[in-house]
Amino acid sequence: MQPPRKAIDFLRWFCRADYVEEIEGDLIEIFGKESVEAPRWSKWKFTWRVMKYLRPGFIRSFQNVNQPYSPDMYKSYFRIATRAIAKRKMYSFINAIGLSIGIAFSVLIYLYIQDEKSFDQFHTNKEHIFRLDKASYSPQAAQRGEYPVKRSAYVPLPLGEALKDEVPEVQYLTRFSVGGREIFRYGEKVFSEEITLVDADFFRMFSFPLIAGSPDHLFSDKHEIVLTPEIAEKYFGNEDPVGKVVTLRLQGEKQFTVTGVIEAPPANSSLSFKILVPIESHPRYARNLDQWGSFSFPTFIQLHPQASIATLRLKADTLIRKHMGEMLDRWHKEGNVPAGFSYFEPHYTNLADIHLTTDVGWEKVSNPKNAWILGGIAVLIIVIASINYISLALTTSAARKIEVGIRKVVGAYRGQLIIQFGAESLVLATISMFIGLGLVALFLPIFNEYTGKGISLTSFNVLPVIGTSFTIALAVGLLAGSYPAFFLSGFLPVKVLKGGFTSKFKAGFARPLVVFQFSLSAFMMISSVIMYRQMEFITTKDLGYDKEHVLVIPTQAGQTAKSDKLIEQFRNRLITEPAVVSVSGTSASFSQGYSQTGYKINGEDKFSYVYRVDPEYINLLSLRLKEGRNFDPRIASDTNAVVINEALAQDMGWENPLEENLNWRQDTLGLGANVIGVLKDYHFMSLERNIEPMFLSLDKKGAGYLTTMLVKLSPGNVSEKIESVRSAWKELYPDKPFDYSFMDEDLTNQYRSYERWMSITTLSTGFAIFIACLGLFGLAGINAASRTKEIGIRKVMGAELSHIFMLLNKQFVWLAVIAFLFAAPLSWYVMTRWLSSFKYAIAMSWELFAISMLLGLTLALLTVSYHAISASLINPSKTLKYE
Amino acid sequence: MSQNILGEFEELVLLMVAALHDEAYGVSILENLEEELEKKLNISAIHVALKRMEEKGFVKSRFGGITESRGGRRKKYYVVTALGKRMLDEQYALRNGLYKRIPEIAFG
Repeated sequence: MQPPRKAIDFLRWFCRADYVEEIEGDLIEIFGKESVEAPRWSKWKFTWRVMKYLRPGFIRSFQNVNQPYSPDMYKSYFRIATRAIAKRKMYSFINAIGLSIGIAFSVLIYLYIQDEKSFDQFHTNKEHIFRLDKASYSPQAAQRGEYPVKRSAYVPLPLGEALKDEVPEVQYLTRFSVGGREIFRYGEKVFSEEITLVDADFFRMFSFPLIAGSPDHLFSDKHEIVLTPEIAEKYFGNEDPVGKVVTLRLQGEKQFTVTGVIEAPPANSSLSFKILVPIESHPRYARNLDQWGSFSFPTFIQLHPQASIATLRLKADTLIRKHMGEMLDRWHKEGNVPAGFSYFEPHYTNLADIHLTTDVGWEKVSNPKNAWILGGIAVLIIVIASINYISLALTTSAARKIEVGIRKVVGAYRGQLIIQFGAESLVLATISMFIGLGLVALFLPIFNEYTGKGISLTSFNVLPVIGTSFTIALAVGLLAGSYPAFFLSGFLPVKVLKGGFTSKFKAGFARPLVVFQFSLSAFMMISSVIMYRQMEFITTKDLGYDKEHVLVIPTQAGQTAKSDKLIEQFRNRLITEPAVVSVSGTSASFSQGYSQTGYKINGEDKFSYVYRVDPEYINLLSLRLKEGRNFDPRIASDTNAVVINEALAQDMGWENPLEENLNWRQDTLGLGANVIGVLKDYHFMSLERNIEPMFLSLDKKGAGYLTTMLVKLSPGNVSEKIESVRSAWKELYPDKPFDYSFMDEDLTNQYRSYERWMSITTLSTGFAIFIACLGLFGLAGINAASRTKEIGIRKVMGAELSHIFMLLNKQFVWLAVIAFLFAAPLSWYVMTRWLSSFKYAIAMSWELFAISMLLGLTLALLTVSYHAISASLINPSKTLKYE
Repeated sequence: MSQNILGEFEELVLLMVAALHDEAYGVSILENLEEELEKKLNISAIHVALKRMEEKGFVKSRFGGITESRGGRRKKYYVVTALGKRMLDEQYALRNGLYKRIPEIAFG
């Protein structure tokens, strides 16, 4: 019987060299006797006895204190590392590129996340500033079967004032109303500009630097106006804008004096504005002064530094009860609001949180989940690049084994070799870092476009950026490089130099790695293909009406009869114009707003979308009538009629809608509006929603005025036609700017955010695939290189080129197929969830998966073919010469 | 008292080394001690004691020749030094002196 080998190895490993022989000998002698006399436990006893020698006096010193660590060696290592990299240019290049892309991506993501976090952080008072918003019961949502609470930043106008007056915790108050585009005139220059209406405290609360004017005095007069430098330059050139008088059309023309110039808000501000005007000039200001029931004015308050938000809440609740209690109770009863819900529940969002609070609609709000997704993608790419690195390094090791053997013979300790190979990977990682940083600088503008941000490499973020990329490069270099370093340095010189040491480098290690990489890439590829199809579907789906060549022009005549008249005028003017097919008016064009109205039918609450139109509307958009007819201007009673859509008819349960009446204005006298026509359902809202009940009406008072004009152009040269329309406009309305947009563009803008995400995903997929292919390329190369002898022999024996080609590629094709089998179910699951957010989605058919798989296979084949072909073309005499 | 202390177990090992003259090595010391003490000992304890005593200068060692058994590993033989012998003598004298002081009575 033999003593246990492992125990002896272990003993030799830890025991002092000068004791080993004696101890080993004694133990073996004892074992020898015991295995004869009491053989049962003799092996265990042996091992146990070995263990008892694990004592301080017997453990050898592991510090090879004799190792020379002179600085000269490091210089040498560096040189050798550089040479090693240069010798294998192609593989080094592949590694460096993969890593650089990973670094670049991570840095970009880092910048993105920093930017998101930095929103609104520049305000000095940010801790004390809160936005008032509300959570309210939404019967529309309940009707749709969703959770019936919606949040919104629109609160009553007097709420802010009351809080400031009656609650001592509130120090400052400002409303922040984005007024839309109004006509702004100075002398000859007339344009429509975006106006924002605020209180005087705005300048005290927020840290937007003033170039002219002082925060304590601005807006003491209610006819002041403050501009951003961009606007000032546009209208006043180089002149000092302060003191100039401009005209604004805000419900009638009013004059305003410029008393200040304020710096434009930075890209990472949730509050953006171009022109500031006192809130008192808001068209509906007077009307809303004590309207506690109208929710239309976003409001911000600033608390005293010592005030507690809890006290504020309590006092505010009391205040709200006082002013709105009765009204809310009444509403709750009338609307059958279930217990626990309210039409107005106050919330206070801190300024710093606004950007990431997705519940409340606000400008530039973004989902924090996005940051996670992007971070995940970056990690993914780095993982793939690192895997590449490791597998490539390991597979090139075969060529270095002789070097290792000789170095060891000449006296290198294992530690030194580890340092040497570690240095190599560090050098490579550093090179990658620089390339990566270059890529970042190069792609930053494009990245900004994709994500809709304005990130720039300023002095603030340059250092952290370099730091991050350096850390990543270091980490990957060390981690990814450590395994090859240990592996390589472990070669035994005797075995290596004697030859015949085929490190049958466990292809068992490389394969799962490649499959993993490919599965990831396959997953991303399949997802991208599906996303692409979905977006294509969305943007080309027949919406039920004709949106081509339709100009959308706001009348800018306000909610008055003037708007209606303007449309009439314009139509008459353009009747003779061949460029124009028809002119119509509506209260809101698609994706530019909508109106909903609620009414009670037989005690039930009903909701419907409503559009004010004129008789030309239906024809201009080529809407299809299922039954009945269009409005007829000659029939007087038609002013009281409605044209409904199928969804409405269905909702009301009407079999013969043409015989029904829709009492949407809650007429107590008559039966309401009679239905003269039923339209086939069309998508007047985005494709994310189902088609809901809607009707068209000519009623000015009930449905509003025709504030938007639609002009259908005849097909042909678009710019010419626009010119004719523009000159007609200038003729009739010289002091109104000609603002227009195209209906089909407006509609695609709805899907802007989806498009952006799709771009990012496609881009990331592209990178992931690229890196995976790089890895595959390297692997294939090594595979072919290690089989040159075999190929040579096969050729000599008469194998055809195509045969060798297939031989080499077969294994990779298999790998790719397996990768797809892993990726398919994963992407199916993820995509199903994504598609469920669209009400109108494509079905995930087999062909989508098949296409992706084909694409992937082709790519993989192309990558490996290069090596397969070159390997099969080598002259066998060259490879077989050294036998 | 001399500058070094001789532990109880060390003393036993040292005695055995002395008793075995030139034939004392790990296993022989172990087996003989086990026989005398009539209890099982661990070879590692013996080696530890030997090493300590070698450090203190009570024993010295030399390698034996290569043999077939023990897988070709040489034995290390230990002999007592003059210092070691003096330690033993002192201990013996001490114990003996104390023992002689015990009065001649019958103990329970």
